[in-house]
Amino acid sequence: MSLNPMEQFEVKPLVAEPLFHIGGHPIYFTNQSLLMVVVVIAASLFLTLAVKPGRLVPTRGQSMAEASYEFVANMIHSATGEDGLRFFPFIFTLFMFVLFCNFFGMIPWSFTVTSQIAVTFALAALVILLVIVVGFMKHGLHFLSLFVPKAPWYLLILLVPIEVISFLTRPISLSVRLFANMLAGHTMLAVFGGFVVALGGAGGILSVLSIAPMLLIVAIMLLELLVAFLQAYVFAILTCIYLNEALHLHDNH
Amino acid sequence: MTSQDPNRLSELGARLEEVQKRNAVKAKGPPPNQLGIAGRFATELVAALVVGGGLGWGLDWLLGQFGIHTKPVFLILFFILGAAAGIRNVMRAATEINARMASKDLES
Repeated sequence: MSLNPMEQFEVKPLVAEPLFHIGGHPIYFTNQSLLMVVVVIAASLFLTLAVKPGRLVPTRGQSMAEASYEFVANMIHSATGEDGLRFFPFIFTLFMFVLFCNFFGMIPWSFTVTSQIAVTFALAALVILLVIVVGFMKHGLHFLSLFVPKAPWYLLILLVPIEVISFLTRPISLSVRLFANMLAGHTMLAVFGGFVVALGGAGGILSVLSIAPMLLIVAIMLLELLVAFLQAYVFAILTCIYLNEALHLHDNH
Repeated sequence: MTSQDPNRLSELGARLEEVQKRNAVKAKGPPPNQLGIAGRFATELVAALVVGGGLGWGLDWLLGQFGIHTKPVFLILFFILGAAAGIRNVMRAATEINARMASKDLES
């Protein structure tokens, strides 16, 4: 058995034949695609089946689904106000997708979709494109005043490029934060798992010592569950904050 | 029975509003921990440098395609602008975290 902690992040095609080609590039059905399909099906099933009974006194599943709905609705309301609720479907989908990806990644032998920068950057790029489109639709060219802080004109020559760069930083910091957190956590788990195997195989008193990293794994596992939720939350709330800026421009500065 | 209902309803409404107000403060965000803050600042700063440098490099390359050889000029210029933008981002993140911590202190 190999003890490479990065092995778990390898994207492998599950079917040898490519599904189709895009511009000459073969597109494979990989373990990552499989997990994304599983996540989408699981999230949809959870949300539809759990609220199906529609009881006044909810069952456990129903109250979980309702709690996640209200949680996201409250978050959007407090971050963007009343008119931000139009984007509830988008933000709720985004939140549930990231949350389920993070949680499914915690299952042993599965695959963490959000530990791939390609996935997180695609999500972040989607968010920023939405922000730009919404900003231009709502305010027209006036949206560009987002990049013009209150300052004398000779400073604006310097400040406008800085603001533009600062805006372009967002998709990168948004995606890197999610990706780095998931990557670091899962690598840490694998490294400590390697310690258990190495110590256990060493024999004598060292084998007994292998219980220490084992206990640590349990603790890290709990921490990772927290991080899995927290990162999904951070991704969603930052989306709300960026949308708020596009909707209301300088109101909150 | 029914004559009391409007009174009870408005009382219930007032209590509900109170709870919602309390929850609204909570919804501002979870208490940021030290590691989270450090990670946030680091990514903000580095991302701005990468974007600034990348923009400058791209601009140099683009002008080079038209036969204007500016090569390291825009890279250097935008790298410095990127550093400034990074510091701006960190300051913005810091004020945001400060506000969140202040609202948390108010609550307890």
